[in-house]
Amino acid sequence: MSVRLTDRTLSVAGAMRALEGPGLGGVVVFAGRVRPDRGRAGRVFALDYETHRAPALRRLAAIERDARARFGAGRVVLWHRVGRLKVGEVSVVVGAACAHRAAAFDAARFLIDELKASVPIWKTERARPVRRPRRRPGRARARSTG
Amino acid sequence: MTRRRSRVVILLFASAREALGRRTLDWPVSPDGVRADALVRALARTYPRLGLALRASRFVHNGEYLHDLSTPIRPGDEFAVHPPYGGG
Repeated sequence: MSVRLTDRTLSVAGAMRALEGPGLGGVVVFAGRVRPDRGRAGRVFALDYETHRAPALRRLAAIERDARARFGAGRVVLWHRVGRLKVGEVSVVVGAACAHRAAAFDAARFLIDELKASVPIWKTERARPVRRPRRRPGRARARSTG
Repeated sequence: MTRRRSRVVILLFASAREALGRRTLDWPVSPDGVRADALVRALARTYPRLGLALRASRFVHNGEYLHDLSTPIRPGDEFAVHPPYGGG
């Protein structure tokens, strides 16, 4: 069983190790990173993740059981960061190891979709206003007369 | 301890927390408790800013998802407001 809610850095290499097992020839790992999106408040520089820990861990464990039953996954990873994450940091790692690739792809897709839809984790954007570069008066005049 | 026995602890997350600027509320209830739907209505009346978040939320009672809003919430219970999730 590998479900985790942590304020520590998530390692894709660590997920690969957790997904090792006899006969598990198809391994799919998905990692999500914080993007520098631009919204109404400006450019995102970080996301604050919060969770309701006990129900979240129970839901993650239920998703893992479902993935094993539905896709025959021999090993499953469902890891999520909490706290403040800067742009570029990995917020989530999910992975599935199955006998063959098709089941592993399907299982990994199922894991991330279910996690996003049904696990009590929330993110709040932290953004800075974007400054527009000032136009030089001379260039502005030249364009207006062309 | 006596105070906790006569109250429900309300946990607020994400937009619900931001609406009130706090993570928890101590909500007084009678010794017989209150139905979950009545509790939600009372919260919305007392804190109109919370209304939008409450309409979109799921509720968690003592760590379990609440499927029946006629469930009694009793003194000492925990009642969590879960706005739509956004992990990943």
